[in-house]
Amino acid sequence: MIDLFATPIILGLVLLGTTLGITVGAIPGLTGTMLIALSLPMTFSMEPVSGLVLLVAMYVGAVSGGLISATLLRMPGTPAAIMTTLDGFPMATSGQPGRALGLGVGASLFGGLISWLALWQLSEPMADLSTKLGPFELFSLVILALAMLAGIGDSTPARGLLGGSLGVIVAMPGMHPASGELRWTFGLTFMNEGFRLIPVLIGMFAIGKILQDVTSKDGKVEEVSGNDSAWISLPVWVSNLFNLIRSSVIGTFIGILPGIGANIGSLAAYMAAKRASRNPEKFGKGSEEGIIASEAANNATVGGALIPLISLGIPGSVIGAVLLGALIVHGLQPGPLLFRQNPEAIYAIIGTVLIANIMMFLIMVGCAKWIARLSAIPKKILFPSVTLCCIWGAYALNGMWFDVLVMLLFGILGWRMEKAKLPLAAFVIGFVLAPIAEENLCAGLMASGGSYLPLVTRPLSLCLLICSVVLIIWKRKPKNANTQSSF
Amino acid sequence: MESSRLKRILFVPLAKKIILTHFIFLSSLNGEYPSKPITVIVPFAAGGGSDVFVRIFQNAIRKNNLCPQPIVIKNIAGAGGTIGSRTARDAEPDGHTILCLHDGIYTAQHYGNADWGPADFEPIAATGRSGVVVAVSENSPYKSLNELMEDANSRPYQLVYGTNLGAPNHYSALFLQNGFKNSKFRFTQTGGGAKRLAQLKGGHIDVTGFSVSEYQQFKAAGIIALASMGVKREASFPLLPIAKEEDVNATHSLMQFWWAPKDTPIERISYLQDLIKEAMKTDEIKTQFKNLHLEPIVQVGKDLLNTIDLRSKNLENIYIEKPTTMPPLEWIVLIIAVTCAFFVNRESKTV
Repeated sequence: MIDLFATPIILGLVLLGTTLGITVGAIPGLTGTMLIALSLPMTFSMEPVSGLVLLVAMYVGAVSGGLISATLLRMPGTPAAIMTTLDGFPMATSGQPGRALGLGVGASLFGGLISWLALWQLSEPMADLSTKLGPFELFSLVILALAMLAGIGDSTPARGLLGGSLGVIVAMPGMHPASGELRWTFGLTFMNEGFRLIPVLIGMFAIGKILQDVTSKDGKVEEVSGNDSAWISLPVWVSNLFNLIRSSVIGTFIGILPGIGANIGSLAAYMAAKRASRNPEKFGKGSEEGIIASEAANNATVGGALIPLISLGIPGSVIGAVLLGALIVHGLQPGPLLFRQNPEAIYAIIGTVLIANIMMFLIMVGCAKWIARLSAIPKKILFPSVTLCCIWGAYALNGMWFDVLVMLLFGILGWRMEKAKLPLAAFVIGFVLAPIAEENLCAGLMASGGSYLPLVTRPLSLCLLICSVVLIIWKRKPKNANTQSSF
Repeated sequence: MESSRLKRILFVPLAKKIILTHFIFLSSLNGEYPSKPITVIVPFAAGGGSDVFVRIFQNAIRKNNLCPQPIVIKNIAGAGGTIGSRTARDAEPDGHTILCLHDGIYTAQHYGNADWGPADFEPIAATGRSGVVVAVSENSPYKSLNELMEDANSRPYQLVYGTNLGAPNHYSALFLQNGFKNSKFRFTQTGGGAKRLAQLKGGHIDVTGFSVSEYQQFKAAGIIALASMGVKREASFPLLPIAKEEDVNATHSLMQFWWAPKDTPIERISYLQDLIKEAMKTDEIKTQFKNLHLEPIVQVGKDLLNTIDLRSKNLENIYIEKPTTMPPLEWIVLIIAVTCAFFVNRESKTV
């Protein structure tokens, strides 16, 4: 493995992939998936190992880059960075943009390393374990995640749940995720797929934020200012060690689950950190623990998502699916035999996760000063260019103007929701999770012949449901303390 | 001196432009085709099986200079391929926009998710046949397809068959149960090949179908194919019996079909047919088809029409039983939202 990465070409490809990934991840509207899908044909003519290295490095870079725009502009570049907006942006607006970035970058590195360890040493047992989760367990897991929405950000439980359920409602039109029948499409073909994630996400956060700033009458806009260092001293990391480890482990485990991973890995870690914290009231107002939990977990999902890919040949994420395609095109047979037949491909993937995470850290820390200045770009230049990127990103997704329209409409919705103090993060997470919950519940019901019993007779499913109930009930106490303190 | 430079700057590009536009204009008058890039609509996401399939053609055509114009791929994914196929159906019938869509074009229409189908397009060609296998977990009590089907016959609606409802692999299973006495499966929505593997391995479903390429990838993960569904045994698995040998009267396989919008001129269709046939002869395609376990066949003209007819006819005997009633989640969530809105409203009043 070491001699593979000793060649300058391979190292250069990791550097190129990571840098491109960070850039794309940081630009609201452009996503890592887009970058990787566009680069895939280019790798056809490359050596298999070089192609894989480039694609994996882009994946790592893109997940990490999302924290830049999430922190400085409150616009998550990727869905995985939604939770980072909750604390990163408040910290940045309170005059510490460098510190917010530094915490995010350091936590990302830590999360990446933990998941790399799991990928390297534990992939087979973990992948086997993941197949034990059937539709009922996955449904209960999503319910647990939805229950967490009640305590999201600094909003009240009712607002969190309202935001979440509005997101769920918006996810309803389109093809039923289980039966494949059409629902609420009004006979329009372009509605068959419903609203897509990227237009909704960038509409709510990016366009919504721009509308909010542009329309604020008194010109009072939350400005990111300050020129502090991104260097975080060791004692800070030591005091957060437990949080780092917990968030990375949660991220890795949840990352394994196909389709669920990257999106709720950071949510689960964030909520766990909030429960465990001595200062839960700071969450949503610029808590360092919040930034660390979210960023450690979302980078950890990268390694997690690759575990089923290399041990079983099952893609754990959209990007995993593209990598699977790349393996096949290069004549490598993905699956359990890959380890024996083409160990160099496996080592290329595992090694890249490690090196790309380290390079990501060096690039981001090295450039933090310049990155933080992004927020100093005058709004009359920044806003039009972000809007253009968003329009391009939404259009390029499928080449349909409908997606651009969706993005603009959700921009207006996001702006109104912000006014009504409904948490956008809850909305988007509800939107993402609804089809997963519905698909799994219905699939389970079809398999059980319509019986709901397995939800409570299957031990793991029961356990997860009890946790969700406890979460909703148990949260009352700190919440009261919180509301009192904020008056 | 000065004026000649001015002339050069002003007129040379202009002249070039005029020549160029005339050239394009004339060539389109003479029916010179293709006069611009040929867009292939892939109705699935970039990186998926269908996308990779078309990109292999794109690559082979470019590398061997088979076409004066580039092939451009446009992914219009979603809703089981129906959004992309609808876009292709409504495209300008000038041969510059075509569609590549597998058996899903028949099944989406039959399932009722699209009111258009093969008859709404001009077929260009069918390329690459992929076999289909029926697989169980290695811990499964079933050692042959016949045993499995006997059980599905004596205990109808008990064996859980994981499929992607409305997609071709759902129809493989429907063909199976139509081909054996009164056998019935209990269908559940499982999704793509990777998800079906995980669920089969975890014991959440009893049986499912894979393409030969998927089975080749997954077989070492602890699953066993009971039979393939071709008319003869698969070249990659000569020991695996076909369904007919197991007394199950069912055949199914997957092909990628190339379609042009209705009324595309016939000479342009035949140009595309020649292009696809030439591409099939290249080393690039031969190697990649081997990697993907695709039989390198190409059908045009009469053969193609026969294949399309046969596939449509096979579906006529298939009756879809709708799965158990789904919980009305949309209404439940609406109620939750209204309740929350009530509380939020009260909160804002107290503040």
